[in-house]
Amino acid sequence: MTDTLEELMLNPVIRALFWGLVMVTAVMTVTAWTTWFERKFAGRMQSRMGPTLVGPAGLLQPLADAAKLLQKEDLIPDSADRFLFNLAPILTVGFALGVAAVVPFTPDILAADLDVGVLWLLALSGLMVFPTWLGSWASNNKYSLISAMRAVAQGISYEVPMVLAIMVPVIMTGTLSLSDIVADQVKNGWLIYRMPFTGFFAFLVFFLAGLAEANRIPFDIPEAESELVAGPTTEYTGMKFGLFYMAEYIHTLLSSAICAAVFFGGWDGPFAPGLHWMLAKSVLLFVFLTWVRWSFLRFRSDQLMDICWKYAVPATLALIPITALYTVWHGGAR
Amino acid sequence: MGYIDATFKTFGITLKNLFRKPTTIEYPAVRRERAERIRASFALVHDANGEEKCIGCKFCEWICPSQVISIEATPKRESPVTGKKRGYASDFTLNLQACIICELCIQVCPEDAIIMTREQEQPGFCREDLVLTMDKLYANEKKTLAWHTGAALMEMQNPQRGQEKPAAPAAATPAAAATAAPAPTEDKPA
Repeated sequence: MTDTLEELMLNPVIRALFWGLVMVTAVMTVTAWTTWFERKFAGRMQSRMGPTLVGPAGLLQPLADAAKLLQKEDLIPDSADRFLFNLAPILTVGFALGVAAVVPFTPDILAADLDVGVLWLLALSGLMVFPTWLGSWASNNKYSLISAMRAVAQGISYEVPMVLAIMVPVIMTGTLSLSDIVADQVKNGWLIYRMPFTGFFAFLVFFLAGLAEANRIPFDIPEAESELVAGPTTEYTGMKFGLFYMAEYIHTLLSSAICAAVFFGGWDGPFAPGLHWMLAKSVLLFVFLTWVRWSFLRFRSDQLMDICWKYAVPATLALIPITALYTVWHGGAR
Repeated sequence: MGYIDATFKTFGITLKNLFRKPTTIEYPAVRRERAERIRASFALVHDANGEEKCIGCKFCEWICPSQVISIEATPKRESPVTGKKRGYASDFTLNLQACIICELCIQVCPEDAIIMTREQEQPGFCREDLVLTMDKLYANEKKTLAWHTGAALMEMQNPQRGQEKPAAPAAATPAAAATAAPAPTEDKPA
């Protein structure tokens, strides 16, 4: 039986289907309880308690939220483009989950070991602005449209430093496959501290760009609850809004997982199995991300663009030649 | 460098808060001690003889700024208890929906017939629940009553008044003394 199972798993299609299913289920479940964690964490940071009533310590709150969202009336504005309006939330979750395919949790737990994993990652996070634009264009609401313009401007701007930042690990390890990047770190040390120490700065920029891509505070200008109500999702109700919300969390979770894999050595670590290390690193990064979110204020639109074009892009442009020269000097990527 | 300092400071503040006990008081489970002079709902009270104190004078109806009180008074008739002729209210309605809890009706009442209750919660499932009919007002008598009756408030604001007229009928009623808090009555010179 096990033989046949192992043989089955060798078939790339079945392997991809199996791990895809596992990945989607796991990511969705974790996402649900991430919202609980974030609310609890944020509450404590603001000297509140967060959810306490549904289940022990409010642990069943995500289920209650989902039940509430499902019961909501499904409103579609009269002048909306129904097809695109319904398509946008599906696409946004689809693209967000697509990133999960290439995240290497361990050498085995990996839905698709793409040779161009980094490229796939960047492509999908670049596509993330499309559903936002699509949804707000289709809802035919001028405020949604204004915030979607902001979202797209922000998403496209931060795509540049993100691509440039992730080039540093690519140059240092000489591969575009995420699992090979981690394997290289297992052999030669994590990129966050490896000489010429450009990995650390690349991480900072990548992390910042990840925050901006996911439209999280302090980069939540498109959403800006206090000014724009909910930005691109103004016209969405019920589970369609829930899907946008979920996509944001999936994006955040996966960007911390990718940071953990690319800069913090992924599954590398003593004493415990690789999966534990990878998950622990991802969770720690996510906690840090949440900490950032609940500590800072929203940037102004021009400050946001300043940070991107005046600091992040030039910084990464300087990092790349330094890394490249150092790597060539030491006889190419190891 | 100011930016970097501020960044770390911000992280420090949120981290400090994270490990602090939340200031939240989980309301339905834990109830805070309310102020002594809290004003909530209203009650109409009986006197020591078990007779309705309200004489239907309509002072409260007239003074009410939001006009939520409406009273129907009966002509004067003999009291079955004391045998004296006095007025009665045949209907008394207080609509809490528009009540601003200003307490003027209590201050103006010559008989201390209307008193506020100290019970904080007064939710209802429909608007009718918030309209206090005469029955509900007399039922509220059994709740925790505030000390401030009309006489007690007058006493507090103008203590000399009691001195000039030691036999003021409003201040001497036993129900008022029972519900009165010690502070204002103790100030009264013996």
